[in-house]
Amino acid sequence: MRNSVLIMLYLIAVALLSVDSSQAADVSCFGCHDAARFAGKVVHKPVADASCDICHNPHVAKYRGLLRNRQDILCYSCHRQQKKLFSRGVVHDPVARGDCSSCHAPHVASRKGLLRDDPAADCLACHNELSRQYPVTHEPYAEGRCMACHRPHQAENLQLLVDTGDRLCLSCHEASGLKSGHRDFPGPARDCLSCHNPHGSERAGLIRNVLHKPFSKGCVVCHDKGSAGLGMENCLKCHPDVREQMLAPHSHLGGGDGNSCLNCHSPHAGDDDTLLKSPERLLCASCHGQTMAGYRRSRYRHSNIQDCSGCHEVHGSRHPAMLKGDGNDVCIQCHKDQGKFTHPVGPGVLDRFTGQMVTCVSCHNPMGTEYEYQLVREGKKALCVVCHRAY
Amino acid sequence: MYKPLMQCVVVMFSVLLVSPVWGQTRPETASGWAWQRVLKQDRFQDAMQMPTAVFVDAEKGQYDVVDSGRNRLLSFNRQGELLHIFNAGKALKTPFDMVKTDAGGIWVVEKGRNSLSSIDLKARKVTPATLYFRGALVYPDRIESASTLLYVLDKATGSIISYSTDLVAKTRFSCSGCRGGFVDFKIHGTKIWALDQQEQTVYRFRLDGTREAVIPLGDRVNFPVSLDIGPSGYIYILDRHARDVAVYDKNGVFKYRFLGKGMSRGQLYYPVEIRFDPWGGLCVVDEGNARVDIFTR
Repeated sequence: MRNSVLIMLYLIAVALLSVDSSQAADVSCFGCHDAARFAGKVVHKPVADASCDICHNPHVAKYRGLLRNRQDILCYSCHRQQKKLFSRGVVHDPVARGDCSSCHAPHVASRKGLLRDDPAADCLACHNELSRQYPVTHEPYAEGRCMACHRPHQAENLQLLVDTGDRLCLSCHEASGLKSGHRDFPGPARDCLSCHNPHGSERAGLIRNVLHKPFSKGCVVCHDKGSAGLGMENCLKCHPDVREQMLAPHSHLGGGDGNSCLNCHSPHAGDDDTLLKSPERLLCASCHGQTMAGYRRSRYRHSNIQDCSGCHEVHGSRHPAMLKGDGNDVCIQCHKDQGKFTHPVGPGVLDRFTGQMVTCVSCHNPMGTEYEYQLVREGKKALCVVCHRAY
Repeated sequence: MYKPLMQCVVVMFSVLLVSPVWGQTRPETASGWAWQRVLKQDRFQDAMQMPTAVFVDAEKGQYDVVDSGRNRLLSFNRQGELLHIFNAGKALKTPFDMVKTDAGGIWVVEKGRNSLSSIDLKARKVTPATLYFRGALVYPDRIESASTLLYVLDKATGSIISYSTDLVAKTRFSCSGCRGGFVDFKIHGTKIWALDQQEQTVYRFRLDGTREAVIPLGDRVNFPVSLDIGPSGYIYILDRHARDVAVYDKNGVFKYRFLGKGMSRGQLYYPVEIRFDPWGGLCVVDEGNARVDIFTR
């Protein structure tokens, strides 16, 4: 008797599973959802096949839009090759987040690859530090052809360029014309992006907006007799404050053919007074890529971080992690209230294991953790009992 | 009736037994390395601040620790007891590394002065010296000695330069074409082993400057800051951000890693240097935890 019931249940389950789900979806989905909104020039194959249930659960789901799974998991379940490819090198943030739909329409679009209508607008929606138009605008940029120079998913460089900076420039700008445009340049013209802004500028020739003072007075101020690479001492004789910072236990001295300044700064022109070679976070990530990746991966991380230099000293520091001060000074720059009513921290409150001052970063890691409030351990008990063992 | 149930139980137990949660053991013990002792100032009010280096004086059987934050050098015996604190009459300015030469000289890298300073213990006198190589100012970082020469890592170029004790430059050891240069090096016998952080590669040189081997470490390390060579020839790499030590064989094949993040005994917070002592111990200088932990197998 019991065996018969089990067999019946099994047969019912098999029958339910064998129903043609696509037909069911076809009937029920477009009964309510206007089919015309899912028709267009480029239609995603599951939509064209009316296989809505490949991505959506018709009844209930954990994910918005009744999606069956996380967006990237759904996409990669068909686009398998892309999954492998997009995990290599430097990965574009939306791709790393698995937010495919920030650029691609999941149902229908007028452009190949199901790209949304105005890819440049999509790019600028996130890259809002860029203007759509500059007094002098680079032609591909003005035309909204971001992909002429950038790869949208991943690349081997931080700017996601399709090729190295100089090679990319020379793919359109003939090398023969460079010499006449760079008459006083010591040696062959190279490292285009250190002086030119590839998007736009207020200056002719896309020269970046802010000129280094000596450069604005002429090349010979530094390059007397046409000398090429100049040593770091040339920089530090005008920037003694930086020299002082470089004498800290930890500094960013190193590499750059002996002139460490040129690792980060352009000696000629930049987009702001810092004369950085590229936006700060990109620049830092060129050496600290894994730190940035860890930050992005973390479940809980400090939000609203504009630039690394908000907390870190960029030239040299007397504190671990090259912080601007101890683990309290840096945090209470912004978290002024917490500095007044928190768990005891600061001078006189010493860690029982190390004898070091207890600070905000004793318990929090703003670069990201797996615990709420960026706690370094689970906050209900595990974190506290590290020190308060009697509890 | 009970047979399938029992099978389920067996399967569940099997899964639990092989799961990483049950298999976890403390990283230091899993590798065979165990914490042995600590070098630190016991009085908390006078604790070290950002120690950056340890020198092992095999002849005297003691450790010398550079306390960069409090501008002093601390000596400990092999049992970890504090012997002396030396600040040269408060003359030291951000000391970072040190060596004692066979001839009895003490040399300290003073970052605050950008100098390589010799110390006369009896006179309690510090004599700073500015180093140059082919006319360019050198920024001393790490220092080692071998035979009658001093070997100094120039942080500005990431290259190692050998000097006589009267500070005449001799030979330069560099990784031509690498981005950031070396961040640490050690001398063993007639070889220099140097760590290239950016390219995550170890270089081996002969003392005459000839490059013998280039050993890539692969992507097993995140932010390598220090290296040393173990008694069996294995390469030990200190990873500051992973807060552990990765071990490779002499050909660069990854073998295992040990230690982990924390502030408790034997854990690392902001480690900065590793060094083997001649008694089988691995010393790990930890700036963040302000101590030197010594591990043995």
